[in-house]
Amino acid sequence: MKRKFIKPVIGTAMALLLFASCTDILDEKPRAVYTPEFFKTKDGVMGGLTAEYATMRRMWGDAYFYSNGLTGTDEATWAASGGQGNFKIMDISGNGIITPSACDAGGVWSNSFPAINTASGIIENATEVGTIDASLIAEARFFRAFYYFYLVQNFGGVPLDFGSGELKFNISPVRTSVRNTVPEVYTKAIFPDLLIAVNDLPATGRLTGALTKTAARLYLSKAYLTYAWWLKNPNNIPTYPVCDRVDPDGHDAAWYFQQAYDIATAAIADPGNFGLCDTYYDVNVATNDRNKEMVLYADRTQSSAYWNDADLGYASGGGADNFAAWMMTCNYTSMTSSKTSWAAPTKCNSVQREAEQHLGRPWTRMAPPIEVFTNTFADKVNDSRYDGTFTTVYRGNWNKAGIANAYLYNANDMQIKQGDAVLTFLDDEPATPLTYMTGAADKSAVGAAEVPGRADWVIAPSGISRVIYPGGGYKIGTYRTDNGTGLGQPNGSITRPFPVAKFSELYFIAAEAAVEGATTVAGKTAYDLINVIRGRAGKWRFNNNGNVIKLEDNSQAMKDATPATITLEYLLAERSREYFGEGVRWYDLVRTQTWGTIAHTYSICGTGIGDHTPAVVTRLIDNHHYLRPIPQTQMDALQMTAEEKAAYQNPGY
Amino acid sequence: MLLLWQSTAPLMAESSLQQTKVTGHVLDVKGDPMIGVNVLEKGTTNGVLTDADGAFALTVASSNSIIVFSFIGYESQEVVVGNQTSLNITLKEATTGLNEVVVIGYGTAKKKDVTGSVASINGATMRDVPAANITQALQGRISGVDMSQTNTKPGATMQIRIRGVRSLNASNDPLIVIDGIPFSGNISDISPSSIKSIDILKDASSTAIYGSRGSNGVIMITTNKGYVGQKAQVTYNGYAGLKSLFARYPMMSGPEFVKLRAYANNNGIAGSKTYANTLDESDDVNTDWQKLLYKTGFVTNHDLGLTGGTQQGSYSFGIGYYREEAIVPLQDFTRYMIRSSLDQQIGKRIRIGFTTNTNYSVSNGNNLGAVYTALDHSPIANIYNTDGTLKARYQQQTSGQQWVSTRKTLEALGDKYIDQTRTLGTYNSLYGELQIPGIEGLKYRLNLGLDYRQANGGNYTGVGVFSGTPSNNSVASINDAITTHWTAENLLTYDRNFAEKHHVNVVGMYSAERTLYNYSQVSVKDLPSDAFQFYNLGQATGDKTINPNYQNYQVSGLLSYMGRVMYSYDGRYMISAALRSDGSSRLAPGHKWHTYPAVSAGWNISEESFMKGISQIDQLKLRVGYGETSNQAVDPYKTLGLLNTRPYNFGSSYSQGLYVSELPNPVMGWEYSETYNIGVDFSLFKSRLTGTIEYYQMYTHDVLLQLSLPATSGVSSYWANIGKTENKGVELTLSGTILDNYNGWTWEAGINIYANRNKLVELASGSKKDEGNYWFVDHPIDCIYDFKKIGIWQEGEQYLTDYEPGGNAGMIKVKYTGTYDTNGKPTRAIADADKQILSMEPDFLGGFNTRVGYKGIDLSIVGTFKKGGLVNSTIYGANGYLNNLNTRSGNNVKVDYWTPDNTGAKYPRPNGLGGDNPKYGSTLGYFDASYLKIRTISLGYDFSNMGFVKNAGISRMRFYATVQNPFVFFSPYKKESGMDPETNSYGNENAAVPLPGTLKRLLTIGTNTPTTRNYLIGLELTF
Repeated sequence: MKRKFIKPVIGTAMALLLFASCTDILDEKPRAVYTPEFFKTKDGVMGGLTAEYATMRRMWGDAYFYSNGLTGTDEATWAASGGQGNFKIMDISGNGIITPSACDAGGVWSNSFPAINTASGIIENATEVGTIDASLIAEARFFRAFYYFYLVQNFGGVPLDFGSGELKFNISPVRTSVRNTVPEVYTKAIFPDLLIAVNDLPATGRLTGALTKTAARLYLSKAYLTYAWWLKNPNNIPTYPVCDRVDPDGHDAAWYFQQAYDIATAAIADPGNFGLCDTYYDVNVATNDRNKEMVLYADRTQSSAYWNDADLGYASGGGADNFAAWMMTCNYTSMTSSKTSWAAPTKCNSVQREAEQHLGRPWTRMAPPIEVFTNTFADKVNDSRYDGTFTTVYRGNWNKAGIANAYLYNANDMQIKQGDAVLTFLDDEPATPLTYMTGAADKSAVGAAEVPGRADWVIAPSGISRVIYPGGGYKIGTYRTDNGTGLGQPNGSITRPFPVAKFSELYFIAAEAAVEGATTVAGKTAYDLINVIRGRAGKWRFNNNGNVIKLEDNSQAMKDATPATITLEYLLAERSREYFGEGVRWYDLVRTQTWGTIAHTYSICGTGIGDHTPAVVTRLIDNHHYLRPIPQTQMDALQMTAEEKAAYQNPGY
Repeated sequence: MLLLWQSTAPLMAESSLQQTKVTGHVLDVKGDPMIGVNVLEKGTTNGVLTDADGAFALTVASSNSIIVFSFIGYESQEVVVGNQTSLNITLKEATTGLNEVVVIGYGTAKKKDVTGSVASINGATMRDVPAANITQALQGRISGVDMSQTNTKPGATMQIRIRGVRSLNASNDPLIVIDGIPFSGNISDISPSSIKSIDILKDASSTAIYGSRGSNGVIMITTNKGYVGQKAQVTYNGYAGLKSLFARYPMMSGPEFVKLRAYANNNGIAGSKTYANTLDESDDVNTDWQKLLYKTGFVTNHDLGLTGGTQQGSYSFGIGYYREEAIVPLQDFTRYMIRSSLDQQIGKRIRIGFTTNTNYSVSNGNNLGAVYTALDHSPIANIYNTDGTLKARYQQQTSGQQWVSTRKTLEALGDKYIDQTRTLGTYNSLYGELQIPGIEGLKYRLNLGLDYRQANGGNYTGVGVFSGTPSNNSVASINDAITTHWTAENLLTYDRNFAEKHHVNVVGMYSAERTLYNYSQVSVKDLPSDAFQFYNLGQATGDKTINPNYQNYQVSGLLSYMGRVMYSYDGRYMISAALRSDGSSRLAPGHKWHTYPAVSAGWNISEESFMKGISQIDQLKLRVGYGETSNQAVDPYKTLGLLNTRPYNFGSSYSQGLYVSELPNPVMGWEYSETYNIGVDFSLFKSRLTGTIEYYQMYTHDVLLQLSLPATSGVSSYWANIGKTENKGVELTLSGTILDNYNGWTWEAGINIYANRNKLVELASGSKKDEGNYWFVDHPIDCIYDFKKIGIWQEGEQYLTDYEPGGNAGMIKVKYTGTYDTNGKPTRAIADADKQILSMEPDFLGGFNTRVGYKGIDLSIVGTFKKGGLVNSTIYGANGYLNNLNTRSGNNVKVDYWTPDNTGAKYPRPNGLGGDNPKYGSTLGYFDASYLKIRTISLGYDFSNMGFVKNAGISRMRFYATVQNPFVFFSPYKKESGMDPETNSYGNENAAVPLPGTLKRLLTIGTNTPTTRNYLIGLELTF
């Protein structure tokens, strides 16, 4: 009986033993992850293409990439909470220095190279797969050029060979690197790829937001323009790695300015589905996202946290989060009104965090200097762009926060109702200087002033400080459709697409090329082109900060104010009016070598609540700052001698 | 095995004129007959076994013959026959000493014959520390075995490191073997009550037989079993107790915070920020969030066991229940356990048996973030409405609306919150053993291990729960992790004595094992009803996500051949040699196999004739060993490379992005270590003092490492065999009987002390440092790379703004390593180049235990200690965001901060240079890690000898009262914070901005469930 029981046990054991002896046990078959083999299939190639788009999200919308393009220019300085993330350092105003480990350009470096390698992989594998359309390969070529373009603008010359040869897909673990020169990067990588992209890309993208011929033309013209400036080098800014300012293809700066002009005007003449919106307001209002002016953007979605690759409820600020708009948003939520008369106040926060384009989440990291309001946007009447760029009026939303009061008491003990202005940044300096409230007497809690007859707290342009300032994040601000009747989710990653390139820029590119000597065609002089932009800026359909319909056409007044001769300075100021706070200013000033002069000084009040005394700050922009340092992570990962590493790093860092 | 060779020794009746027949009984100390005791005429092979009544009959050569009575686990006795014909022998259970039997892997050996480094502890001793799992029970008990706390939640286990860390990315966890079968489950699945003994194999000459799996040491667990002929015995062990807060986190009170905010806002530093009270904050409020959170915790454990034997077999059966409630609401852990084992001899040659251990546990609230919330929230927040009810939310500076998190609000959540993991683990082993006819001492054994573990998790957070946003979506998720594991081992053993003095033991093995791990996770948004919790995700109206990054499938297999020969001569000279070859599925084709040797030798010096005269020395043994082990511990598929996913949306159309993130490595092979070990075991003064001293060196080569590539290679990383590490150490274990029944008093004491010096010898191709991973050649693997705080800058100090452009008095002063000009002025500002490598390695560590007995009363104390090294408290450091010193959001740690009137302070000036945190704020978290901790004090009373107990048929009854974590001494961290100086988190956990995942290994003190001081009462009962 017992033996009968034993036999099956031993039999089973032996069977297991035989099974075990099979060397299958040492074979591997992954079932939950992709291995690089998959990248050689058609689906793998298509996945690679999507990754090129997805990489944009790690840069456009990222606050540090954003700061890298703004802080230290005439558009932005650090704000009260801006020690974090190097905002003070990037300001180059004596609060720390830019170093390889403290510089916000790091993301450009770390994101671009893998994207370039992936693009090379797509180009190679797609050819091998054989059934992949040229227009898809053209997308990969566009992106390879695109990421190289951002690298070369930030760092100077960068490697073309990652380990498997120039512009070849690298799959070897290489720990050394050799930088190419700036002209090599442009003439070997950027221009050839973009020329093919212009040729092979469709007029209309294959998917919402996918690449088009217009996008390729925009970047080709911009690359030509940037390279033309590099060849011209008017202010003798050094390049690195050191090389002669000679074009390997034998052209000169004038030839490239002309190419930039020609390509940009060709794109304007053959716009496909793109074009200018009717008003500036329409370009940026969230309800009109993905409009015809948006040539390229890093898309986002509110409908899925997974596909958005970012938290929709409470984002920590990193990865693919779109949180750039929080930087130039001050902590407006501190401001107070009273439920009862100020004689015996019951204070409450009358403007609270709301998932709404004017408001959103405040990080108080970056602030616009006073000159933005007094110089750049001097015209606040005809030009709709001031109103379409800033949140200058903070309106009460206490009902949405659960405070049921129909009226609150605000300035001068006057009543305001939900939606009324609680705090206003005045357009112009009042004749009588404002008396700001301070300390315990500060009813507003943000150090604002009371003006007789006004129910809102007010702050004059000269009172703009590092702690309380007009919201610069409006254009790229939060917008959600799931707020219901409440404040919604103001702390989530912003779910709007972040603009990368707009159709309007073609006008600026062509105009800049013309200013620098390109031969123009009739009707497309620099003056003509700029006036298209300025004319559109004069058209109003909505007063954003007044929260009221405003049908006005000040186009003619705008055009009349345009100087007959467009200078570079004027063009750059116009660019700032058009693209303020979009994270592009540093590139414009560096390209034109005007950074050190245009951003030399600025004024702003201090970091304390109630501090409304402007101070003039001088920046210490040196020629070496025109190139960002090679990030320390790269330097650390390189297996090279100390001398080789020193030679690899940009001078001055 | 030892038992078997003895029991099968042939009976040989030698003829002699003076033959004497001796009969008698062998009993244990309780007077119960002992079955199967080996009764042997010394110096011969003449022997018998006792029968079911403990009786024996043996005819010996002469009246000068000596009879040896031996039984595994008991002290042997030798009796000169003389003119006795009847002998009644009582055998005492072996407690400590060199006669103890230890489990050495594929066999057992008397401790005196062991040539490798094996440390043992029996279950009863281990249970001096009542604990949920063996890691807590073993902390500080064994030299060279460091248990570090990584979590303080109920049911949590500790990280085990045997003789330091070797691998950089691979696991450094030891192998656990239960009853001979490698264990694939979680340590928390093993109830300490079921354990008879634990043996830890520390050096390569011992672990080599486990090959690659043993490279980080092996913990051999033997569970309680009956023995042949044992009378049925029932045991009960139970305790229950309360858990109270050991120490609150040292946060500021309302008035202290008010003072800090006032100072921070008015400190006169240009550019400093002001943070006014919000409307919910008021200077006259003092809200103690911790007091509002904590409750009294509770712990209880009950184990009931039955063991017994039959004439040819034995059995055991047990059930257990353990429950622990944290002092944080909604956090608890419950475990139910059932186990059984059977051994049965069938006929003369076959023996079979099985062990099965099944448990089911439920843990709740593991992801509850209530502790951080309690520390982070404003102490001047008025959280009550005018009617005295709690507000749902309140406004905090810069961080905005906060959910009011208290014991009351948490307990009121009801269906609105659940975070539960239900785990079923069943670990089963079977064996069959056959004595091969014809060849004496040759045996075949098949071991089969079949394990299954399923952890099923679910969580639900209702609308607005824990969120400052009342409309925050409800979310739920479920996850399921399944591990199946089988092992098959085929063993041939040959064990025989030749010519009396030669003992040979040969083992040959061929084994295979395979582990499958599968993890799935689904999460959803917007459940229409709280009642659904996570039980019907299909009802969710919002986004349903199956994130591909949260699904996993891994299969790995291992094939092994092993051979070992042990030879001993006359109990004096022992040698052991082993060779093992392992093939792993995880490594690249062509590099899957590795073969490694191990040899060790021992010399029982005390057995030599020249030692006979030295009566003080009972035992003296020298051991030396050399061995190799290897490590395959990379995750499966790492040789193949990886495509990472990058999801994207084209408007409303979704698309998955893919890019190469890890390169394949077709030559990735084994990481392996060479270990040299030398040890001395001694027993002095009639075993009143016993001890072991060991020294070892360990060199690990071809370390498996995920290497970050420069961005310019286009790929972020790859896995490779790169680097070398080294460990050297000494270990000392002493135990002594200070009083041995002196007027009824006994006093025993033991101490172990050890030091390990770990060093990274080589990184990838000549690189001296990997700053991102905090790896530096010639430094320990566990170190911090940061500035070194040397004080606080004072008013008027020279060159302040040269060192620190824009700096001010009161800021943290860090070490400068640059040059100076002729005036002594630094030639540059403080920069990254000034960062220092700060070792976290302690100088030495260890534990001690002592036990005093008088009549039935016993008092025992167990403690641990550590000298030197660094501990990183993220409470104080910048990562925790609790020591901002600018009152930018909620509370601040209570620290002595610099002001012009308090210039001797340790902490910097509030609101000085820095962003959200003071500049160099991370340096504030580093403390000297030294401490001495009394882990438990137990006072027990044994009623066993009392009449009423005996009359009730109870053979043992002991009551005890225990206090856990009563005292901590010599701890700079405790001195400053009042807190427990032991770590409670991995580096990437429990801090506002934790360290990156790559620095997980650097354990921290973070915002985990606080350490408790526990008061228990317990009962041990045997009948």
